[in-house]
Amino acid sequence: MLVGAALVWIAAIGLGFTFLLNYSVEPGTPALAPDEWPRESRIPAPRGQYQLVMTLHPQCPCSRASVTELNNLLALLRNDNVKAYVLVVKPAEFPDEWTRTESVKNAERIPGINVVLDVDGVEAGRLGAATSGQVYLYSPKGQLLFAGGITPDRGHVGDSPGRERIVSLVKTGKADAKDSLVFGCALGAKICPPRPKQTGL
Amino acid sequence: MEDVSTLAADPGRVESLYREQVNARRVRADRMFAVLMVAQWLFAILLATLVSPYAWAGKTREFHPHLFAAVFMGAGLALFPVLLAVYKPGQAVTRHVMVASQMLWSALFIHLTGGRIETHFHVFGSLAFVAFYCDWTVLVTGTVVVAADHLVRGLLYPESVYGITNPEWWRFLEHAGWVTFEDVVLVWICITGLNEMRGLALRQAEVESLKESEEAKSAALEMVLKELQPSLAAGAQA
Repeated sequence: MLVGAALVWIAAIGLGFTFLLNYSVEPGTPALAPDEWPRESRIPAPRGQYQLVMTLHPQCPCSRASVTELNNLLALLRNDNVKAYVLVVKPAEFPDEWTRTESVKNAERIPGINVVLDVDGVEAGRLGAATSGQVYLYSPKGQLLFAGGITPDRGHVGDSPGRERIVSLVKTGKADAKDSLVFGCALGAKICPPRPKQTGL
Repeated sequence: MEDVSTLAADPGRVESLYREQVNARRVRADRMFAVLMVAQWLFAILLATLVSPYAWAGKTREFHPHLFAAVFMGAGLALFPVLLAVYKPGQAVTRHVMVASQMLWSALFIHLTGGRIETHFHVFGSLAFVAFYCDWTVLVTGTVVVAADHLVRGLLYPESVYGITNPEWWRFLEHAGWVTFEDVVLVWICITGLNEMRGLALRQAEVESLKESEEAKSAALEMVLKELQPSLAAGAQA
């Protein structure tokens, strides 16, 4: 009886943790990032500076970790000529108070950051963002260098391939990959199809 | 005259008193942990409610899986050990399950707080509580659960436990090593605690033995006095 109960207990706990782990490492939809900075964007195109943009769902619990990691990332790039934006996506029918969350307040506290309210995710859509925590790095000439997430998994802080690659791209101009998995809630932004790549023909 | 210091306590009585004390302590520890299990369950629900109540998809929201984990996994983690504490207090199986569960609570809290490094302190705090059992074997159970959790997650999902994607395979040994570092002191505390309890049992048995000896002496003296009383009365009359 006791052994049976113990086995059931162990199996239930094991299943529970497996479910939690699977949830934690399930990535969101990757961005369809345009290769060049979208000209129609309200955000000024990069001019002689690297441009780092993060899309954020203000109510998503994972945003807290994304903002923490953004803060860490920008601290590493403090002297590297990087201009950073956070796009806070808000449906038009929701009041502004809906965006006054701890994540957004933490983002506003990051030195030198530009927090932009993105009503209905228009800007996020131009960048092809589907998931909160999506980060883009554009070169000083407006070319896409990186698109991906900077948290190790869903809602978790810590070292991540995304952070490592962005730092490497800015510091050395190269990285082992130009993307990474992104973890967060769906933004619900209407994604504009990315422009086709110029083939030169 | 008999020297008190040389009074020999009954070894059977010493062992019985010692077991009584150890069992009472472990039953108390079981009760403490049972209360802690329920408290942690409530705290986990509160934590999930405050930290991650909803998962969002654009405008729509639904209850976050962490909330379900806190309610149902928390119930699972708490229920079995609490039942054991109620129906099998003081038994070895109860404290081993209790300790395993306590270590798994650490893993759940680490999850619910998004891998915050501060939450890892729960592991070390819990081990200190575990020492209250005065049973070094449960520290081994706790350490094995922590090491196994780190090993399995480190192999399958390294980011979830170490915060990096490509840790060395032996990284779990580093974590287990720090736990063992604390264990060394706690094992010593457990053994010292048991020795002290044995010493107390020995002294109590000696006191009981002395009391019995004194009562026997008093009874013998009383009997002698009773026997002498007629002679003394006759002598007084003469």
